[in-house]
Formats: sequence, structure tokens, C-alpha cells
Amino acid sequence: MHNKLNRRDFIKTTSITSLSVATIASGITLTTFAQRKNPVTNAKRWGMLVDTNKLTETDIDSMVDACQKEQGWGGEKYSIGNQKPTWIRKLKVKDKATGKISNLPLMCQHCEHPPCVDVCPTNASMRREDGIVLVDKHLCIGCRYCMMACPYDARSFVHENLTEQKEHMPRGKGTVESCTLCVHKVDNGEQPACVVRVNSEAVIFGDLYDPNSKINQTLKKIQSTQIRADLNLNTGVRYSGI
Amino acid sequence: MYHWPIIFLNLLLATTLAYATEQTSLGDEARMIQASGKKHHGSESLIRKMHPEFLLHKRDRTSREGVRTKKHSLKNCVYCHANKDKKTNQYYSVNKSGQFCSVCHQKVSVSIDCFACHRNTPSKGANNAQ
Amino acid sequence: MAFDSGDFMNIRYQQIQGNSLGFYTLIAGLGVFILAALGAFYYMEYQGHWVTGMNNRIVWGMPHVFALFLIVAASGALNVASIASIFNKKIYQSLSRLSGLVALALLAGGLMVLVLDLGRPDRLIVAMTKYNFKSIFAWNIILYNGFFVIVGVYLWMMFERRMNKFSTKVGLIAFSWRLILTTGTGSIFGLLVARHTYDAMIMAPQFIVMSFSFGLAFYLLILMASYKWTNRELGDVIINRLRSLLGVFVAAVLYFVAVFHIGNIYLAENNNVATLLFSTDSIYTNLFWYGQIILGSIVPLALIYHPVFKQSNSMLGLASVLVIVGGLVQMYVLIIGGQAYPLEIFLDKEILEGYGGVIVYTPSLAETTLGVGGVALALIAIVFLLKFLPFLPESLSNKVADPHYKR
Repeated sequence: MHNKLNRRDFIKTTSITSLSVATIASGITLTTFAQRKNPVTNAKRWGMLVDTNKLTETDIDSMVDACQKEQGWGGEKYSIGNQKPTWIRKLKVKDKATGKISNLPLMCQHCEHPPCVDVCPTNASMRREDGIVLVDKHLCIGCRYCMMACPYDARSFVHENLTEQKEHMPRGKGTVESCTLCVHKVDNGEQPACVVRVNSEAVIFGDLYDPNSKINQTLKKIQSTQIRADLNLNTGVRYSGI
Repeated sequence: MYHWPIIFLNLLLATTLAYATEQTSLGDEARMIQASGKKHHGSESLIRKMHPEFLLHKRDRTSREGVRTKKHSLKNCVYCHANKDKKTNQYYSVNKSGQFCSVCHQKVSVSIDCFACHRNTPSKGANNAQ
Repeated sequence: MAFDSGDFMNIRYQQIQGNSLGFYTLIAGLGVFILAALGAFYYMEYQGHWVTGMNNRIVWGMPHVFALFLIVAASGALNVASIASIFNKKIYQSLSRLSGLVALALLAGGLMVLVLDLGRPDRLIVAMTKYNFKSIFAWNIILYNGFFVIVGVYLWMMFERRMNKFSTKVGLIAFSWRLILTTGTGSIFGLLVARHTYDAMIMAPQFIVMSFSFGLAFYLLILMASYKWTNRELGDVIINRLRSLLGVFVAAVLYFVAVFHIGNIYLAENNNVATLLFSTDSIYTNLFWYGQIILGSIVPLALIYHPVFKQSNSMLGLASVLVIVGGLVQMYVLIIGGQAYPLEIFLDKEILEGYGGVIVYTPSLAETTLGVGGVALALIAIVFLLKFLPFLPESLSNKVADPHYKR
């Protein structure tokens, strides 16, 4: 029963609980409905766990599609080849020792120590308190140093003028962009579009710090890896099965 | 000293004309709100004077801290202040010449940087601004 | 006639006349390049970067090759002045003013290219007001701005007779600053831990040595051209000093390149990249061997040291041109070649689909025009300032350069 509890229900339950708790103990402020009014804090760390064994190639394609639909990238008129933005890509990899072939989605890994944030001259590249790595496009001067620094080649530069952007996802020529972990949905208590689309155990999204969250509990149980773990970036996106 | 009255008259005329264009470019939703006698935000003079600060403050709060309230949200500005082309039923861009933002901004020669990235029309499905 | 004396009583500085047909042709010619560069900038900015050869894999293209080359050369061009101030070499003192000028002009040219290639150059004010002090790039912005101020003051100390006594001290500051500046420029690449093609702090000293070589080559060309075109005397004493200095610098660059690549080959993790750079027949391999090593290093060394060419000023000029061309090729191999090879996202896995491959980058005309415009801007600034301020000694004959000179 507890396993089938989805995030929405979970939030409902917790908010009711915390509401009632809040009325008793007025010290508690971190209720769900207050989330959007107050700045996010480092009490949470958003993360994602991708189980490549459970994920089919079609699943990954639909994750890419969900991302494009949600964020509005991929319809650029003039950009060709590698000029086209890629917020999330499907990779087919082969283990050098065992020869095992796996497919996985690769996007911004939302590092705890992101190289893109370190190199950004204007603080445009930034990490939110809750671990989501974003580009503040108001400050981005388009120097592309973050793209040089990212170990995952996860960032894209907008090569042309854009119109009709999504209201929740401003994007514009001359600035850098990447996976936002659907921050606009997360702030409303929803899950990222790609996670919703796959709708299975294969991709779990949640608060890494919360011992009651599914992602936290699963990570405790199973073997998982971080890509380029040698760089000690402590990524928010984890993989199992590779 | 004759130029002072001329400047004054010019300013007067410009203000009156600006007021007239402003009424037509106010935006469909905003005009309805105005007609209904409701107030959607603080005084016009306050918004006119302070909107850069409001937007600047809000943008940092939202994009860097995740605060997503309706107050001073650019999405809301666009939602109310966009006009529809009556023939095609399509929205004009708010920063198009003669539309809400441009009426003043062109007059004072201040370029608007918002819409290099932000959408300049209400999105199709939008029926209540968030 | 405007002149003032330097540290020697026998050195008199004088502006170039700058009213000949040749002078105006030069200005007009350079002006055309600058206008073309501005046009190219407007085109790229208006359309967006899709009109360039750059993409999300080659994020820094031709403009960065020129910009970083000019910035590196700028700090190197200051060397002549530094040698005079710090090591108190009298023979170089007469050359110091020009050294400061070339340094400032090259930096201005490089920064113009760098800024005009930004995605949002209109937000330069953001770059100047919001600093992330963890970012090497932000430090570089401060270092570049500081360089302008310090070299400006240094020039003032050299020009103003009452201030001459401070020029050694300011020269020392300028020299330290330029070392830090080039360290910073090298660190832009050296600190990219994610990229096997860079990620080596040897790039900082390597950039310093590169700056010595490129900067001196530029300086020599400008010195020789201005003395030839204004019919002033430029003796062997000075030329031969600078010639052997250039030879040492070119050889030093070669040494650093060798150490850098040997290090890369030896480190197992960089094996793939090293193999790609040295044993495939990609354009970067060819550019490296034929452009950077043979044309940009071996041939100039031969022109500088071989007895047959040793007496010829035009051969030294040719050597300088080749050092500059070789330097641009070196920057191209370093910047573009370094990005062309895919990142090693997985250390124990091979990527079959979705990412990889060596990128072929074809710079567009607009990008190259912008880059060349940076060089033109530097040159036009030098030409103009030579006309308006007394940077050049009236004569650099052997007797002026070295009072004890005996034929």
C-alpha cells in the first residue's frame, strides 16, 4: 500500500498532517502550501534515480519527447546539427570489460559542486539551495564557459531568435540553457515531465535527504552510480544498472 | 525664454496623447478589469514608476529562490495587458510598436530586454493568469 | 618639434609624421578591415550564432582563436619594457615606450573580438558589475582592466620626465601583473577538469612562454616596419638582440608543447585524445605538425639561427610573421582541436550512439572577419598613437643603442 502512494497523494497527506501539526506547534513553517512563497532551502535536495535495466529505448525517447513538449525546445528553425539544443539525450553505451550494452538518458546531473557554477563569471550559472542547477538568463552574457566546463556536455546555447516560448520557460538567443529538473513543476509540488511520462519504477524523482522518500529508500537498498564519480561532483541524478 | 512655454505645451500634448494611446493599448483583460471597477494592482503611478524595480526584485526571487507568487509576475502583466487582433483573434505582442509596453518605452527610448527570452503574448490555453 | 629625453640624454623621441600617402593608405586599409568586422559582428548578433560554424560542441570558435592569441601576445609585447625596467638593460630602455603601446593595442583588439562574440554583448555591463570570484573568467576581466590601468600609468612614468624615476618600480608591478594575467588566461583552459584535452596546469606557464614569443614577434614587426617606413635608422645592435631573444622564446614554446604532449601521452586516461591528435589524419593533426611545429617553430628557428639568413632583416621579419601565423595555428589546435574530440563521459564505457565523434568545424567568413578585425584594431591604434605621441626614438642606430659600440 505504502509503495503505491504516489507523490501527489503523499503531498496531500503530508500537508494535511503538517497543517494540523502547524496549528499545534507554530514553529513549523515548511508546509507544502507555503513552498511557493518562501525561498527554497537546503533542507531538501532534489534528485533522480534512473534504473537502466527497467528503462527501454522507447521509454527514453518518450522522456526526450516529454522534455521537448514541456520546455519547448527542439523546434528551432535555423539551427542545424549540433547547433540544436539538447537538454536530454539518449545514449547507448557498452561496458568496456563486460560488453554489456545499456541505454540511458543523459541530462544535467545537478551536481552538488557544479563546475559550470564555478566558472561562470557573472553568477548566472547557479545552484539553488535545494540542489537544482539553473542558468539565470537575466545575468547570462553568453560566454559559453559553462559549456566548456560541464563534464556531461549537458548545456546548449541558443543560436537563433525565438518566439512563442513556454510561459514557464523563458528561452532566448545568446544565452545558455539546460535541464531545469522542471523546476517550475517541482516548485508546485509536481514531478518533472520526463518522470511523469515514463510513469514507472524506472525513473524515481524526489528529495534525496528525506528518509521517507522513495528515492532515499531505494538508494539505500540498491547499488547506484554517479557518472564521472571520479570528479567528486556528487550529482543529484543517479543511475543503477550501469 | 520663449522655449519654456513651447516645451510645456509639448509635454502637455504628449501626455494627453500618451494617455489616449494608453487607453487603446491597455490590454483586453486589463480593460475589462478597469470597467468592472476592480483593482488588480496598486496605483497606476506607482506601477508606472516602480515596475522596473518590482520586476527586477521578483525575477531574482523567482529564478534564484523559487518564489512563485502571482504578485509582480511578468506572466501576469502580459496576460492582462495584451490586446487581441479582432479580425484574426490572435494576440499582438505586448512589446510590439503601439502596444502596451512600447507606448511608453518608445517615447522614453528605453529598450525592453524582457522579451528576448520571455513570451510576449499570453499562451493559448491561458484562461487564468498564474 | 616635440621631443623629450629618456633616461639617456642621447635618446630623442619623436612622433612619426603621418601625412604621407602610404600612411593614409595604411589607415584606410585597416579601417576597411575594422568596418568589415563590425559588419560581421552585427550580422552574427542579429541572426544569432547559427550563422557561424560554432555549435554546442565547438562552443568557442574562430573569434576566440584570435582573441586569445591577441591577449596572450599583448602581455608578451610588454616584455621589452620589462627587460629594460627590471633588469635595467639600457639597450632596451629606448624601446620601452613602443612596448607599452603595442601591449595595450593588442589587448584592446583581443578584448574587442572576445566581447563581440558573446551571446549577449549588450550585457557587458553585467560582466563588469557581477563578479563570481570563483571564476577564472571573472578574474581575467579584472586582470585585463587592471592591465590597461597599470600599463597606462607605466607609459606615463616613461613619458613624463619628472616621473622617470618611478618607471622601474611601476615596471616591476606591470611585469608581475602581466605574469599573473597570462597565468589567468592559461588557467581558463588549464582548470577545465572535465576535459582531458586541457586540464593541466602546465598550460599557465606554457601560455606565458607563448606570450613571450608571440608578443615579441609582433613587436619586432611593428618596430622594423615603422623604422623602415619613416626612414629612421635601426641598427644591428638592437635587431640582433631581439633576434636572439625571439629564437630563445620560440624554442621555449616548442619545449613546453613537447612537455605538455608527452605528459598527455604518458597519462593513461588521456591516451585516446593523444592518439587522436598525433596518429590520425584529422585536420588538427595536420595543423599541429605542419602549421604549428614546422611552419611556426622549425622554420623561424632556422631563419633566426642559420648563418645564411642571420644577417638579413627581411628574414627576421619573415620569421616573425611565421611565428605569428604559427601562433594562430597553435591557438586553433588548442582551442578548436581541444573541443573537437568528444568528452570522456564514461571512463569504463564506450558510447555507441547518441554522442561522440570528432567534430569538423568550418569557420564562417563572418567569424574570421571579426577575428581579423581585432588585429586591424590593434594595428590602427598603434599607427594613430605613433603619430600623436612620441613613442619612437628618432634613431636607433648602433651608436644610440650602445654608446660603447665599436664597429
